[in-house]
Amino acid sequence: MTGNVKWLILAFSVGMIVISFLIGWGAKKKASDAQSFFGGTALFGPLTVSLSTVAAVASAFAVVGVPGLIYSFGNTMNLWMLSSCAFAMAYFTIGKRIRAMAEVAPIASLGDIADLRYGYHRGIKALLSMVLFIGAIAYLASQISACSALFGHLLGWDPYVAGFIIFGILTVYTALSGEVGGVLTQAFQGLVMVVAGIIMIIAFFGITGGFGNVVEIVSNAGDVSAVVEGQEIIKKMTPNSMNAWGALPGSVAMAWMLIPIIGTMGQPQVLTRMYALKNPKDMPNLGLFAGLGHFIVGFFALTMGYAALYLVGKGLISPLAVADNAIFAVADYVGVYAQLFVYAAILAASMSTASMFLTLSANIVSRDLPSAFGVKLEGKKQMNTSRIVTAIIGVLSIIFALSSGEAVAILGTFGWGTLMSATFPTFIIGLNWKGASSEGVFAGLLTAFVGNIASLLMNNSGFKWPGGLPWYVNVITLSIVVMVTVSLFTKSHKDANLDPRVDAVIEL
Amino acid sequence: MNIGKYRTHVVLAMTVLWVAITLCGWFGKWYVGLFLSVLLMLLHMMLGAAQKGILSKKLLMYPFLTWGVVWSVGFYMAKMNSDAFMNIPPSYTILGFHPSFAWIVLCYWIGGVLTLTLGLVKYKDLWLSDTDWDAFITTVKHLNEGGK
Repeated sequence: MTGNVKWLILAFSVGMIVISFLIGWGAKKKASDAQSFFGGTALFGPLTVSLSTVAAVASAFAVVGVPGLIYSFGNTMNLWMLSSCAFAMAYFTIGKRIRAMAEVAPIASLGDIADLRYGYHRGIKALLSMVLFIGAIAYLASQISACSALFGHLLGWDPYVAGFIIFGILTVYTALSGEVGGVLTQAFQGLVMVVAGIIMIIAFFGITGGFGNVVEIVSNAGDVSAVVEGQEIIKKMTPNSMNAWGALPGSVAMAWMLIPIIGTMGQPQVLTRMYALKNPKDMPNLGLFAGLGHFIVGFFALTMGYAALYLVGKGLISPLAVADNAIFAVADYVGVYAQLFVYAAILAASMSTASMFLTLSANIVSRDLPSAFGVKLEGKKQMNTSRIVTAIIGVLSIIFALSSGEAVAILGTFGWGTLMSATFPTFIIGLNWKGASSEGVFAGLLTAFVGNIASLLMNNSGFKWPGGLPWYVNVITLSIVVMVTVSLFTKSHKDANLDPRVDAVIEL
Repeated sequence: MNIGKYRTHVVLAMTVLWVAITLCGWFGKWYVGLFLSVLLMLLHMMLGAAQKGILSKKLLMYPFLTWGVVWSVGFYMAKMNSDAFMNIPPSYTILGFHPSFAWIVLCYWIGGVLTLTLGLVKYKDLWLSDTDWDAFITTVKHLNEGGK
């Protein structure tokens, strides 16, 4: 990559960061009360919320890691990325009830909804907060770590400098504008991802001539090898990687179909956006816009993985020493405009996901957890406390992400499945079933908390889960089984003991 | 369809399905697990989309059952074609894709959007009508003012 291209990428990236900052700065006027600051509750239209949702769901992993996995194992990962109807499924299943809870009482967080549903049960709020916090910090640290290392390497900067510039500015505007600024900046970043996606999809057809050529090359290339920097790199191409399930075990294909589709409804970045929507009647349009946005981003990731396979299989580039370099290899091959948009997409994906999980973790630490332990701050004082907490978590996350590579990698185990294990018993089942008792949900959350930590320890000690099934599927199932079983034999905040307003929500 | 009366049964069925899917993953029966997953998602949506416990038959037929059939056909065709071309290059493609993956693109991806995403837009009133929303707001207001 030439020096001029690096300067262009730098200028493009600075432009994006400045625009994000200005949007966040402008949004701080709207963050006038706790509901808007912490939740952006009932403030936005479907287009803004959809772009924000897609951007927050699609992390840097979707742009960098997914093409790498497609390059390594073929279509298995595409089952995850082609889950565009998951938003509609989420809104059908839980959308109107989550949104309706914002009419019952002032709602600014998922913890508030749990409070209403389960009679202000402190244990539920504390456990929910802790599991969500683990997932949020894992997401936040991995975005900071990957993006800072990438831009530091690209520009020849120390990763700390890159990290503090990108995520330091993000921390400032997030602290100022809270979730209002979060939703608006994520919508802008989502738009950048969609535009970059369209451009790179067109580039894919330009370099490959279409999917048929990719399938032909990958199916017939066999082993492709080259000596790169004195080391022989071999890429084994197999026709099986092009079939529906890819080259990974079938149980992984099954899990990577089930978990993203059904798991979308359990992600905080989707659930919190349901109550950010101004008019609940707009939720079907939100599903349509989010689905289309995801359609493009998913297709973008697929085409980049396919393009890397095609280029290597045809001998146009050397086999990749590191699979995660797939998208960069494609961008380098295509030329300057592709490099600009690929780096913009990565920056947008990292920033949007990071800001989402920064506000989530700050809200948990400054609001939900203290409330679970009986400490309540009011109005402006609560918002100012949260601003300080946001700044502290932002700075500590940057330092942690850049100084503890191994710890970040271990923490990276948590994420999508961890968040699901907490939200499924609490909301997805709890808001659709009057029979969910507070004892049951508490037991389910306790199972999720212990299960996540135990799985982390077991994974790091080399434990192999039966059938190669991802560990989080076991934890989610166990937490649901425990929650439902305990609910059947206990009675607090269920059926006749339900708050009549919550009863009205479940009947809606 | 009055699903409200059977909420607990549906939740128990969903719980059993979660266990069954996990066991399918453990014991290599992942293909069966795919179909059980469709059933699990269907039950989640049916429970969620019901209004006052009643699920519209129209909504059940399209998008829900249509989606279930489209996905099941997609998985069946994908498996059939992956078995047919196991370890060998496919002799033909569909839209340029491997004949196995093409069914995932057509049924799972595009079919999912054409059924669920468009179905939610088309039948939004069957999912949440203005009348029901307004009645809900009135009820909540009344309850928040101390009514019973």
